[in-house]
Amino acid sequence: MGAMLAAAISVAGLQGALSPAFGAAEPRSVVSLNLCADELVLRLAAPGQVKSVTWLARDSRASTVAAQARDIPVNHGLAEEIVPLSPDLVIAGVYTTRMAIAFLERLGIPVMDLGVPATLEAVRAQIRQVAEALGQQVAGEAMIADLDLALADDGTAGGGERPTALVLRPNGLTAGRGSLVDTLLTRAGLVNLAAELQPDGFGRLALEEIVAAQPDILILNADPDAPPSMARSLLEHPALAGLKESATVVTVPTRLWTCAGPQLADAMTILKSAAEQARHATGNPRRAP
Amino acid sequence: MTSRVAATRLRAADIPYPLLVGALGALSAILFLVSLVVGYVPLDPVAAVSDIIAGRDSVGALVMVELRLPRALLGLMVGFSLGATGAALQGLLRNPLADPGVIGVSGAAALGAVIAFYSGLAGFLSIGLALGGLAGAGLATALLLLLARQGAGTTALILSGVAIGSLAGALTALALNLSPSPYAVMEVVFWLMGSLADRSLDHVLLAAPLMAVGWILLLGAGRALDGLSLGEETARSLGFDVMRLRLRIVVASAFAIGSAVAVAGAIGFVGLVVPHVLRPLVGHQPGPLVLVSGLGGAVLTLAADILVRVLPTHPELKLGVVTAIIGAPFLFSLLWRMRREMD
Repeated sequence: MGAMLAAAISVAGLQGALSPAFGAAEPRSVVSLNLCADELVLRLAAPGQVKSVTWLARDSRASTVAAQARDIPVNHGLAEEIVPLSPDLVIAGVYTTRMAIAFLERLGIPVMDLGVPATLEAVRAQIRQVAEALGQQVAGEAMIADLDLALADDGTAGGGERPTALVLRPNGLTAGRGSLVDTLLTRAGLVNLAAELQPDGFGRLALEEIVAAQPDILILNADPDAPPSMARSLLEHPALAGLKESATVVTVPTRLWTCAGPQLADAMTILKSAAEQARHATGNPRRAP
Repeated sequence: MTSRVAATRLRAADIPYPLLVGALGALSAILFLVSLVVGYVPLDPVAAVSDIIAGRDSVGALVMVELRLPRALLGLMVGFSLGATGAALQGLLRNPLADPGVIGVSGAAALGAVIAFYSGLAGFLSIGLALGGLAGAGLATALLLLLARQGAGTTALILSGVAIGSLAGALTALALNLSPSPYAVMEVVFWLMGSLADRSLDHVLLAAPLMAVGWILLLGAGRALDGLSLGEETARSLGFDVMRLRLRIVVASAFAIGSAVAVAGAIGFVGLVVPHVLRPLVGHQPGPLVLVSGLGGAVLTLAADILVRVLPTHPELKLGVVTAIIGAPFLFSLLWRMRREMD
């Protein structure tokens, strides 16, 4: 964790920036350029500390902090919107708004990049990283403690059978090995079938493979009232109708299990109750632990 | 009249017409069966078929009936529509470059279907989607015939087709960009290149009656197309109503291409390559060419769809990629020959 922070500072230092060390002095105007960062800063920062979050934070379908974001100005990840705010800390995602980040770093604005956590350890580290950068260590440790408490009772403790599960997103996308979703499925006492199959370069499975995999639990990760697209229509394919009847079907909204934060506990609750339901439904899951 | 056409045919063609039709039909049937065996999960086809017959609800039966059968059926139907329409348009315009893809009819059909679907007017399995495709294809064909009627030469006709095609492609991309769905932009590739992946029997049932109307109109136009090949004046003096023939082909191409594109996207070059290859085998007669081109189109489309599943590229290639790689060199060779003839 300390190494991560040091790396972030040295990156800013390499740009020749006048960078106040994160956590040394509490930053007074923080800007977030990434939805996951929005969720953490809006939950952890003191009132008035956050000057701008992304426009996505207000969309209640995508964000878990839509209510908190209502009164904060929004940005669209453009450097032009950020510079006039003269922030003393910008928090961004490693894969998003890279052009804006490069420009802000050239101006000497301290930037912190957040990775995509794939394990619960990485989730804790990221919460701690943001909390320290905001000077809100107490709030950060409290969030981690709450999350650990909610996740403490994992579905593997019972030693019962492990039902098989498959995550299905629009376009036949799934959650493969090494993702945060895979971590959560395993911890909820499920066997993630996609970790054994070979999704293509985009993480897609062919419909034939989904039908043949025969999971005990089908986890739909799609927005029911999304605008029309062929990607969405795929989930209505008649070939999946039989599977939807025989398997336990649950829906987990994307916003619950993509970012580090307390919402992961809600995703875990859905997964654990699905696991319980599947154990009762089949009595004899197709795959032993 | 009929005897003279038959005599020409016998003189020029080495293969008897019924044998040619039979051979192409048998080839499509074989490829249809191969298409049922090729897929993404190992499957015992014999066991699957016996499960289907016995009414057992096995995974094999499900994959066979719900996923592979619609794909094979659509390969057959879409290919027939593209090949037969290509042959009829070439006969009507007396131009070997008149392919539904090259002259923009497929692109316009895709635009119609895209507008109907992404605006939320029609579901992905509704008649509205097919009607969108029909309207696009019908308008584009009618516009081209209007230009052809005003005595525009080959170059002008092809250029107007290219213009219609590019405009339709651009408007398709625009419509998808304006769609609120984050997936829509990625789906441009499907509408512009075509694919049979993940279709269902519902798509087959949606397209089949519409395509059948198109096929009946196309196959019934054979004699009039033969007459027209002797020149418009001669055709009139032989008693063919050229105006009615034009209208018939416009409606036929709207039904056949519009519904094919609505369920499979715009697959190019099938209607260009197939009539080009088969024309010498029917003695350069446009009438008999319609049926054999339909069967040839089915053969090419099924073969291309088997190829995209066998190739180790994942996600699988779009069908239009394969047909364009085969078809574009044919277009070049045609243009080369036309240039030589002009010199």
